[in-house]
Amino acid sequence: METGIRLALTLSQIGAVMVAVLLTVALLTLLERKVLGWMQDRMGPMEVGPYGVLQPVADGLKLFFKEDIIPAGANKFMFSMAPILSLVPALIGFAVIPFGPDWTVDVGGVDFKPFVITDINIGVLYILAFASIGAYGIILGGWSSNSKYSLLGGLRSAAQLISYELNVGLSIVGVLLLSSSLSLVAITNAQAGGFWNWYFFAFPFPQAVAFAVFIISSVAETNRTPFDLPEAESELVAGFFTEYSGMRFAFFFLAEYGNMILVSCVATVLFFGGWHAPLEILQGPESLHWLTGMFWFTFKVYGFLFMFFWIRATLPRLRYDQLMRFGWKVLLPIALGNIVLTSIFAYMFP
Amino acid sequence: MNLKDWIKTLTFYEILLGMKATLSHLLHYKPITLQYPHEKKTLPSNYRGMLALLRYDDGTEKCVGCDLCEAACPSRVIRVVSAEVPGEPTKRYSKEYYMDMTRCLFCGLCVNACPVDALGMTQEYEWAVYDKRQLQLNKQQLLAIGDRNFPVREKRLEFQHPNVAYFNVGFKEIPQKES
Repeated sequence: METGIRLALTLSQIGAVMVAVLLTVALLTLLERKVLGWMQDRMGPMEVGPYGVLQPVADGLKLFFKEDIIPAGANKFMFSMAPILSLVPALIGFAVIPFGPDWTVDVGGVDFKPFVITDINIGVLYILAFASIGAYGIILGGWSSNSKYSLLGGLRSAAQLISYELNVGLSIVGVLLLSSSLSLVAITNAQAGGFWNWYFFAFPFPQAVAFAVFIISSVAETNRTPFDLPEAESELVAGFFTEYSGMRFAFFFLAEYGNMILVSCVATVLFFGGWHAPLEILQGPESLHWLTGMFWFTFKVYGFLFMFFWIRATLPRLRYDQLMRFGWKVLLPIALGNIVLTSIFAYMFP
Repeated sequence: MNLKDWIKTLTFYEILLGMKATLSHLLHYKPITLQYPHEKKTLPSNYRGMLALLRYDDGTEKCVGCDLCEAACPSRVIRVVSAEVPGEPTKRYSKEYYMDMTRCLFCGLCVNACPVDALGMTQEYEWAVYDKRQLQLNKQQLLAIGDRNFPVREKRLEFQHPNVAYFNVGFKEIPQKES
């Protein structure tokens, strides 16, 4: 009985989060094209529905009904596995993200946390681990396509992800030192009570530099402009998913946007206080924390997503050697220096 | 690198400058897009669009079948079959007139060459077709294009003898004698 209730609760929670994430992805595809258009004095999609708002539906239908092509000479098993291997890690990371207050509700004798699917004590590590598995999907997809463009895109992606995952991991260490926990729920709770407690600004050592390293590396890890070398259109057609079509292509697409949302969520939780409002007064009464918490969390995440679009509209693509040099010679020393300084300050002001 | 450049690099000054530019375009949103099938560009009055054969105000064709347009055409678009007007041996007309618009480059040389202003260029440009053969136009089609684009027709000159073709020799392209 208890197991049944637990299972039903968790499954419904997972379903709700998945629907929310996929709806956000659909919204993002439209929003990205609109924002990019507006920034470049264009209109973006205007034909489907009023002001093009039904464009995601049309795109989804098109991808669903497209022919599914497997190129001759492709490794069929790997070719079909790669999109799934890419999509699942992108979606699975949301399991440890706290979307709202850290409440525990008692439902039929089962302790139930309504705003986080599972609060495991190694949440950050879990997200980093699965983000790395996502790279396998990209590499295998590029390799199994039996196409030179895909292979080159996959190779670039492998090198880029290894270089920049390092920086993501190291830039997070400062926050972990200050909060002395790997659980995202605990990290969020440690940032309660106003924006000066957020780790971006927090005493004893603001993590602003770490945040800059984290966000730059995240842009690189999600293969977005200006670090979109794995799918550089002008050089590699579409990079690792050149040969993909229909639903398999849609999976890669979903994975990219899912990763974007995940990275925004992680940045919100680690550096900008998660669901906490910038001022205590904006959080409202205790009973309304679930509403204001969800609002502030969504607001911050969408802010980061807008920043992704904004950067894409502004910056051209880096050259490959620039990308590597920037990752290893600039970001890595900065992240290491941040760890050293944070440790010293955390030791002096415990 | 001096200190100023270092500070600029450390604060992402150039990137922020670029991001400010894109944001200002977002805030002062003024699209230059023309939603083409719904709204169309206003064409200049001398736009060289689809070719057409013209008529006089009494409904008779202007073309006298002189073949000059065929000679002037650089792409060999035009083919004229000239013939005498039945019963009027001094007067000629184009019995058949074909244009292969797949080859036309809309240079307007035929319009300039025509001595009786029988050819005109319309403002039509939406001539995309699924079958190329639909672009091989005959005389009736060309006259129809002229009819629907030039509702105001030129008067047949009164001093003109019905059996004599009228040539507009006032053309600027015709070499003039040095006076």
